[in-house]
Amino acid sequence: MCGILQSTPDPVVITPATAEEVAAALRDASERRHSLVIRGAGTKSDWGRPLGRVDAVLDMRRLNRILEHQHGDMTATIEAGATLRDVNRALAQHGQWLPLDPPFADRATMGGILATNDSGPLRHRYGTPRDLVIGIRLATTDGVLAKAGGQVVKNVAGYDLSKLVTGSFGCLAAILSATFKLAPLPRASKTLRVEAPDAAALGQMVRTVMASQLEPIAFEIEIRRSTQRPQSTRKDFSASSASSAFTILLRFASLPAVVDAQIDAASSALKGHAGSVEVIDTDDGQRLWSEHSQQLWNRDGAVVRASWLPANITTALARLEEMTAALKGGPAAGAADGATAMVGRAAVGAGLIRIDADTDSQASVIQQLRASSSFGNVVVVRGSADLKALVDVWGPHGDRQPLFDSLKRALDPAGVLNAGRGPV
Amino acid sequence: MMRDATPVDCTRQAGSDRADYNRGDMNRAFLSELRRIAGDEGVLDDALELLTYECDALPHLRESPAAVVLPTSAAEVQAIVRLCAREGVPFVARGHGTGLSGGALPVAGGLVIALSRLNRVLNVDIPNQRVTVEPGVTNLEVTRQVAPFGYYYAPDPSSQQVCSIGGNVAENSGGAHCLKYGFTVHHVLGVEAVLPDGELVHLGGEFADTPGPDLLGLIIGSEGTLAVVTSVTVRILRRPETVQTLLAAFDTIDAGGAVVSEMIGAGIIPAAVEMMDSLAIRAAEAAVHPNFPAADTVLIVELDGPAAEVTALFDVVVQTCTRHGATTIEVAQTDEQRARIWRGRKAAFAAMGRVSPNYYVQDGVVPRTRLPEVLKRIRQLEHKSGLRIGNVFHAGDGNLHPLICYDERVPGEADKAEAVAAEILTYCIEAGGSLTGEHGIGADKSQHMPKMFTPEDLALMQRVRSAFDPRGICNPGKVFPTPRLCGEVPGPYRQHPVEAAGLAERM
Repeated sequence: MCGILQSTPDPVVITPATAEEVAAALRDASERRHSLVIRGAGTKSDWGRPLGRVDAVLDMRRLNRILEHQHGDMTATIEAGATLRDVNRALAQHGQWLPLDPPFADRATMGGILATNDSGPLRHRYGTPRDLVIGIRLATTDGVLAKAGGQVVKNVAGYDLSKLVTGSFGCLAAILSATFKLAPLPRASKTLRVEAPDAAALGQMVRTVMASQLEPIAFEIEIRRSTQRPQSTRKDFSASSASSAFTILLRFASLPAVVDAQIDAASSALKGHAGSVEVIDTDDGQRLWSEHSQQLWNRDGAVVRASWLPANITTALARLEEMTAALKGGPAAGAADGATAMVGRAAVGAGLIRIDADTDSQASVIQQLRASSSFGNVVVVRGSADLKALVDVWGPHGDRQPLFDSLKRALDPAGVLNAGRGPV
Repeated sequence: MMRDATPVDCTRQAGSDRADYNRGDMNRAFLSELRRIAGDEGVLDDALELLTYECDALPHLRESPAAVVLPTSAAEVQAIVRLCAREGVPFVARGHGTGLSGGALPVAGGLVIALSRLNRVLNVDIPNQRVTVEPGVTNLEVTRQVAPFGYYYAPDPSSQQVCSIGGNVAENSGGAHCLKYGFTVHHVLGVEAVLPDGELVHLGGEFADTPGPDLLGLIIGSEGTLAVVTSVTVRILRRPETVQTLLAAFDTIDAGGAVVSEMIGAGIIPAAVEMMDSLAIRAAEAAVHPNFPAADTVLIVELDGPAAEVTALFDVVVQTCTRHGATTIEVAQTDEQRARIWRGRKAAFAAMGRVSPNYYVQDGVVPRTRLPEVLKRIRQLEHKSGLRIGNVFHAGDGNLHPLICYDERVPGEADKAEAVAAEILTYCIEAGGSLTGEHGIGADKSQHMPKMFTPEDLALMQRVRSAFDPRGICNPGKVFPTPRLCGEVPGPYRQHPVEAAGLAERM
């Protein structure tokens, strides 16, 4: 599925070691009209539109230093090629972390995470990369090095260009380094896992937690639907007549006694609606959370990002059920014939949906999701070339399109960056 | 107040920035088209009526617009901006005029689009925790709308009773609680805005994760230079289970600073940490009588969250204060006591008027750990300059608000105050900080931008600006350094006529 290497047989791979080398590569590409793709660990290189011609790949992984960790100020400046895992190992020496947990967090680089504005369950408390970045250093296509923002958490001087490259997929400039605000590592954490008998109960529980004064660091929903019996690592659903499983995960982190008090409060608030309630302590919790974030990716099938209004989740699930009820499994679907799965941030109303079906059915579900008033911002992140030929990965940009176009013209006038991958 | 701008060449280097505009250009036809759009009562061009709009809350920068238009709908804003684009007339969007950096300073002879009549609450959605308002709604009104349901809007600039949400979006306003809760940019889910060519654009919105570059994050804090916002959807937060506030007094500012460092080192992120020095304490006491102790330094710490957490961590904070020699520790026992402590803090700027005929509010940021050293330099500057400097600051995030006292009747003192204010900014930058934490660059600090940014940095920002506003008609002359504006009178704070008349106080 590696889009870059598939689309062009042998692009040149450039491995700059300094900011100046990155700038020189960009200027050179602009002058020669060479198509250039910026890459970190490549964990998401198959996201986006199929690539056009690629003359060169700019591999950022040698720019992998933590330039500064001001632990007293809870900030760190990190080069684009550093992996989140290495960064968090280093920050932990001072009891701090960069609280991000996007998919592929064990390999993904900071530059890639920013460029895709990718995040995971911790978004509930800490936000997405755009909420944590406070300064940026960029190389532009004319070979110039420029910065914006700064090293302090509170700063409104000048334009915040870190936002401009967040979510840009490397289409406007190259990220060299970024400064982030950090958080103290929590002392203890536990997770409450709650099974809901149906979508209505799930929705009721989501609204109950949202309206409560509980303060989880993660608040997730998981929905697994299958034409066969649902698979679960934790519970045998074979006795259940339902073909869908609905789960809520609530993770609390604070002082140990506070975590216990929050777990108790959450359990009693949800007991009335729940099928089962289980408390998972730290060690098991780690496994549960890594399974939770991997489960959507560990099988073939199209994966789409989508959002919904969090309190209206029951309606959104009913719409999804209608769209997928008649799905037929494709060759890739295998045992999970016609299944869908969904993992998302309950109170944000954003997550990922996997559609295990043949390409035409996948495309049909995506089109229905886009047409539905219950969902918004439906973006294909993983999909076969056939699927990407049937539906545009990004969907329409609406009235933002002219701005995207003029920003692209302003920052990449030769049009050399990102090989048509989009979104701009 | 009008100054003749014609003999001076005001052409900007970039060629895109029309910071001045020939008043003669705004002809009768333009004004009558404005009246057709916004109605007779929606257009002001009488010199007396225009006085109110000559400046924002930074009254030493003032300029007379040719006209002010008061639209009542997004469609009217769009029609007005289209007209300006067609005629090449520069415009400045204005909220409630509480800005402290001259961000709403009119362009001489240009148009002011005052959004104060765009003040409807469009949607309150409690289950989904969001509120959509027009830009002229005040910050506090959002909280008022949702308070009965147990919710609030987190950003709380000191001027929250009067400042507008549109202005908050323009400035990316913070407030006392942004250490834990972040700024406006962290609480706005979407905006509808009119671009400088008159096209309507929706950034963000009711659904999360709009694909593409985060243009919403870019225009928040762009100080009205990229678009005119016509509606704003904000996230509201559930009131925390518990709030605990204490006020501790210390003999030295260093002792207070040490408490802050130790708290944060222990992994405690307070909802707010504020410090005031003796001059600021005296001023606040004289103005609103918060019953603050007569001390060198007071520290206000607020924790919020689950009861078990707040109780446990609050004990740690109290012990830390005691260990560092707090002379008084007052724990607010009631909402009224808590409100009184905050009243003293939030009145601090306005209160300086009680101890000095004139004052200048500076806004700079340093990395929190560099606070003691920068405060020491400010003390030395105070002795050297002979001007008293009060200090109020958000200690958790290193955001300083030195209040420079002077008397404009003393020849040269106003200039000296301006020089002192500029010197303090230099200290902030030398310590790795910023020119502004929350008041914005506006017209006031644009000439300082090269202290923090290279020509390359600024050129890149200008390229982005040009992508939004190629003709440079949207709040020109702000944020970026240009030669002194034509007609601009340099110098620090002078009292606004409305203030002098006792009709308003600076927040």
